[in-house]
Amino acid sequence: MKRLYLVTTALGLGLAAPALAADKAAVLDNYADIAEAKYADSLITAQRLQSAVETLIATPSAEALQAAKSAWLAARVPYQQTEVYRFGNPIVDDWEGKVNAWPLDEGLIDYVDASYGGASDENAFAVLNVVANPSFTLSGETVDAAEITPALLSDTLQEADGIEANVATGYHAIEFMLWGQDLNGHQPGAGNRPWTDYAAGDACTNDNCDRRGAYLKAATDLLVSDLEYMAGQWAEGGAARAAVIGGENAGLSAMLTGMGSLSYGEQAGERMRLGLMLNDPEEEHDCFSDNTHNSHYFDGLGVQNVYLGEYVRVDGTVVSGPSLSDLVAEQNPELDAQMRDKLGATMMALGRIKIAAEAGFSYDQMLERGNAPGEALVMGGVNGLIDQTKTIERIVTALELDQIAFEGSDSLDNPGAVFQ
Amino acid sequence: MRAFLAIPFLLCTQAVAADVSAIVDDHILPRFERLAATTDQLAKVAATDCDPESAELRGSYHAAFDAWVAASHLRFGPTETGERAFALAFWPDPRGATPKVLSQLLSGSDPVVDDDASFASVSIAGRGFYALEFMLFDDQIMVAGTPEYHCKLVQAIADDIDQTADAIWQDWSDRYAALLKTAGTDGNATYQTREEAIQELYKALTTGLQFTSDARVGRPLGTFDKPRPRRAEARRSNRSLRHVVLSLQNLRDLARDLAAEDENLTNTVSAAFDEALARADVISDPSFADINDPQARLRLEILQQHIDAIREIHAANLGAHLGVSAGFNALDGD
Repeated sequence: MKRLYLVTTALGLGLAAPALAADKAAVLDNYADIAEAKYADSLITAQRLQSAVETLIATPSAEALQAAKSAWLAARVPYQQTEVYRFGNPIVDDWEGKVNAWPLDEGLIDYVDASYGGASDENAFAVLNVVANPSFTLSGETVDAAEITPALLSDTLQEADGIEANVATGYHAIEFMLWGQDLNGHQPGAGNRPWTDYAAGDACTNDNCDRRGAYLKAATDLLVSDLEYMAGQWAEGGAARAAVIGGENAGLSAMLTGMGSLSYGEQAGERMRLGLMLNDPEEEHDCFSDNTHNSHYFDGLGVQNVYLGEYVRVDGTVVSGPSLSDLVAEQNPELDAQMRDKLGATMMALGRIKIAAEAGFSYDQMLERGNAPGEALVMGGVNGLIDQTKTIERIVTALELDQIAFEGSDSLDNPGAVFQ
Repeated sequence: MRAFLAIPFLLCTQAVAADVSAIVDDHILPRFERLAATTDQLAKVAATDCDPESAELRGSYHAAFDAWVAASHLRFGPTETGERAFALAFWPDPRGATPKVLSQLLSGSDPVVDDDASFASVSIAGRGFYALEFMLFDDQIMVAGTPEYHCKLVQAIADDIDQTADAIWQDWSDRYAALLKTAGTDGNATYQTREEAIQELYKALTTGLQFTSDARVGRPLGTFDKPRPRRAEARRSNRSLRHVVLSLQNLRDLARDLAAEDENLTNTVSAAFDEALARADVISDPSFADINDPQARLRLEILQQHIDAIREIHAANLGAHLGVSAGFNALDGD
């Protein structure tokens, strides 16, 4: 971990030299290039997942299920690094719920353990179980689900009845289809869905294996087509790229908004601190696969690589160019050093969580009531993220972007935004 | 380059007119002192009378909860140390964690209630005002578990609220008030400029407005086709509307203090809050239970529009007046 940190810092320093010439337009071009590379990588890894899923359905076996799980885990590496593009870019934010909505009431999709409970105060469809039911009533209308298609998932089931927890599509729905529920509570261990849930004939466990396979395939196909769309938005001529490079200060503001909103409200608050304070293993971001430590780590890395202007692709090549760091350093070297230090400190803290989790101290154990070392590890990440947000705000002020709207005051230049 | 930059910076500095020390002394400290006092009373009453239907216990619950709502926009510094504010006020709770945690404690007579220090390790969903509301007002939870254990749990929650409120008050008086007042002086790493202190206070205003609009009003409002009255805040003790009103009254005080140097701005901001409060006055159901009726829902929606008008126009003007932006807040994200 230490070595990685030093290398990253060195890269940051290395970029500082040509940086003096960095202008805002070049920084924004690089930001868009990195987005293009990240979404292209997300698409490539999702296509690998798609092919693994097709193998699993065609020739079910323990090995085929394991291969699909491995492909899912690999697909998360680039995708999580894109999350820093969400909050500042409406095109991404309006779309991301299709691919990464969380948390979900998984009983909507497939069978669940009795301990899961039934329909709740908030969600009448928490145990709908579409895999087992070719026809059901939703908000007063009969739904024909005899054939499980991408359109059924995206148009009918996703956010059914207006409930956000009805997540039918995206990485986490697929994660549930591959791992199943994690019934280990605060003990180590992920979900343990048997491969025979996809087996043919008498070997099929938990019934409806063909419909389960159809669901998994539909969800994976949708993920691929949704990522194709977003990769196109950042390619040359794409709308998301055009929006960023269209106005220099607005583009820089989008970069910093993404960094700050992901760091503070989303990751430090909603995803990490809340789960810890609730002591609830279901508050894990990747709760079925027990991959939460990676999910947090790569989210943090995405924030850092937007600032440093460099991204390591899934084929090992590096996309890099003029960075925000260069711009800030030109004007205020101490502030730039403060930002790089804090981003590095956060990555160290998130790295500690990852190290402990990979050595066997899983993220759900860290969340258990009274688990002091776990709490310290998670809070280390939270504190780093909160601390770096302060410096991100200082950069907003230093670059004189502070009258450009942020979440909380986005109404300043977009009165309609608050109604969205 | 540097000389050029110095000019707008200077203008920004001059634009910061609000009196941070006065806001600390007159707005912040009295609210947390009152929270400490009313929660102390709540713990004392619970110690002698833990019957969920006791008028005295419910009265002290209402008084302490009022004091919290009056301070609930001041979410920075002492409230955010450890889990303090979350342990007082975990809401919204879309996954129903509070009834789940309380049911688990009650059904197993979990001995964690026997000791204050251990109780502080319980999930935030089982602590604070919203948990106490379930214990005193929810049809099922108020009679769940053995009577002895139920009583102990009420007392443990009340004691824990009292201790958390004391810790916040102590922290404000011993440390944080001075930190905010000395913004921009050497050695103050938290507020490196005066502007950062002003921004903190301004952010409290905008975040408070956002929470009241999005959560307190917006969650039950749902959509026209599907209002969600069961999502109303503290509906079991009929406090939903009360929280909206209290928060607007207290946010109005803060907005006035921030605008203080500019009489015209002070008056227009005040008037916008008064207009919103007048819209709250015509809402009759204290828990928003009637919003399946389109007329009732419309009244709530109009109230939300007035709160959003404060956010869009008046809070934005105030930010420009102060020369600060709202920055990032905890409600960013999903």
